[in-house]
Amino acid sequence: MAKASSKKKAEEKKPEYIHVTFNRPRQYSWSTGRYLGHFYAEAKENKRIVGNRCPKCKDIWLPPTPVCPKCKVDMGWDWAELPQTGEVYQYTYLVMPLWDPHYGEKWANPYPSAIILLDNGVFYRHRLEETDKDKLRAGIRVQAVWKEDYEERGHGMADILYFKTIDEQEAKRCLQ
Amino acid sequence: MPNRVAIVGIGQTYHKSKRPDVSQPEMVAEAVRAALADAQLSIQDVEAVFSANMETFEAIYLPDHGMAAEVGAFGKPGFKVNTGGTTGGSVVAEGFYMVASGLFDIAMVIGFEKQDCGDTTAAITAAVTPIWGKGAATGAIGEFAKQALSYIETSGATEEHAAMIRLKADRNACRNPYAHLKLGLKSVDEILQSAYLVWPLRILDFCPQSCGACALIFASEQRAKKITKKPVWIADVEVVHQEPFRAGVFGDPTGKETYTQHVACERLYKRNGISNPRKDIDMAEIYEPSNWEEMNLYEHFHFCEKGEGWKLIEKGITEIEGEFPVNCSGGVIATNPIGATPVIRVAEAALQIRGDAGEHQAPKDIKTAIATALGGPNWTVLVLLKRSL
Repeated sequence: MAKASSKKKAEEKKPEYIHVTFNRPRQYSWSTGRYLGHFYAEAKENKRIVGNRCPKCKDIWLPPTPVCPKCKVDMGWDWAELPQTGEVYQYTYLVMPLWDPHYGEKWANPYPSAIILLDNGVFYRHRLEETDKDKLRAGIRVQAVWKEDYEERGHGMADILYFKTIDEQEAKRCLQ
Repeated sequence: MPNRVAIVGIGQTYHKSKRPDVSQPEMVAEAVRAALADAQLSIQDVEAVFSANMETFEAIYLPDHGMAAEVGAFGKPGFKVNTGGTTGGSVVAEGFYMVASGLFDIAMVIGFEKQDCGDTTAAITAAVTPIWGKGAATGAIGEFAKQALSYIETSGATEEHAAMIRLKADRNACRNPYAHLKLGLKSVDEILQSAYLVWPLRILDFCPQSCGACALIFASEQRAKKITKKPVWIADVEVVHQEPFRAGVFGDPTGKETYTQHVACERLYKRNGISNPRKDIDMAEIYEPSNWEEMNLYEHFHFCEKGEGWKLIEKGITEIEGEFPVNCSGGVIATNPIGATPVIRVAEAALQIRGDAGEHQAPKDIKTAIATALGGPNWTVLVLLKRSL
């Protein structure tokens, strides 16, 4: 008797069950916030690398920050465009596989990752195009290579594919 | 003035790559029981339990929740901390703060890691946020390969020096019953023949993934003197964090990435009247994920001048029989249960002060020792231990 009545109720109003499927990739969503959001927008719209400047110590911070880590003051909204050329300061060349911790994909391999000293003295961590270990060394001149398709950009620092090796003369042309 | 705090109980597990015989809580309980036995205390005497683990390294969330019963934390105050590689150092600092403040008379700190459960490197790469830095993460190995390269370029050290450090670590580990890798390495050449993991780091140049746990029992001055004849006093603790996950530069000339070791040492040494660490301190247990980083850390902790870290091993100064022994236990390159690792540094330094290190006891009399933790984006925790205050 009770069973029949609950069945009748179910027909009247459907319970709000939550349905979860596990046979597809996780759908993650992260927020950039206002400051890093501006970095993302400049990369997507203008292919620019931007950092923000502390009103007190005048240092440029990358990634941009709402509060200067050193001075502990609000950064305000003072943006600086950073050069897209620089030199490899430190690097590593990974041959072991690394896995994306969120989606389980295997990352490209071999994989040269570098800390690049941009021409205004700000450090930027990115990957390098050069995969020949013997051609890598500290001090080589590099330049950012962007994703050209506007629709493919919008992923912050991943809008730059990698930094490619350039010679000094080419670097001078880029700076002009 | 804070209350004086002493270490009155020390316990650790043996270390292995895999421990399929125990669950994580069972493994942690081995260290807890050993620490209680060492202090000759009952778990009922312990007022609060603080633990440390690299959450998600075992691919589980809240790893401490499953073990409240086994480690005697059930119904007691306490919580888990996680600060990256310094986690075990942070829990020692936490236990120290709690007893020094007078809130508790007897507290236990535990570091643990069971790395056969998860994927440590995947967990580390997840520390780089998806919105900044993902795609340029290299895991711990890549970071320390970068450090090694930069050290080669700036210091004049050679691969032979790194191999000498590795040989020292193995000789000491072979004398330590709790150490993980005991390889019985015979020569520098043997190490130089091991394959590259990530150039210029060889397989033998980097720490293993270990399963293990370490527990320490802290007591206030009054209680400590009743519990043991050999209390080891925590003379001072220093913790320095920095802005995480910017470029992650080793030796940033712009000063934006602080050398937390420098800041931490400056404060700790000044407070304790240490002008020449190698003379004023008798030995060190340092957190060196690689042999190259060990030479680098000698310099950062002011055991020598800048660019001369490799000379300490060349002269045998940091050998167990040397003038200033470093890592008599075999160190992190032999044993690395990450969350427990810095707790082990403190435990091993305390054993040296007590004179209870057995086969790996330094021949010189150790009255003062320093234990260090390194991790996350180059954070530092320093613990200064003394036989008498």
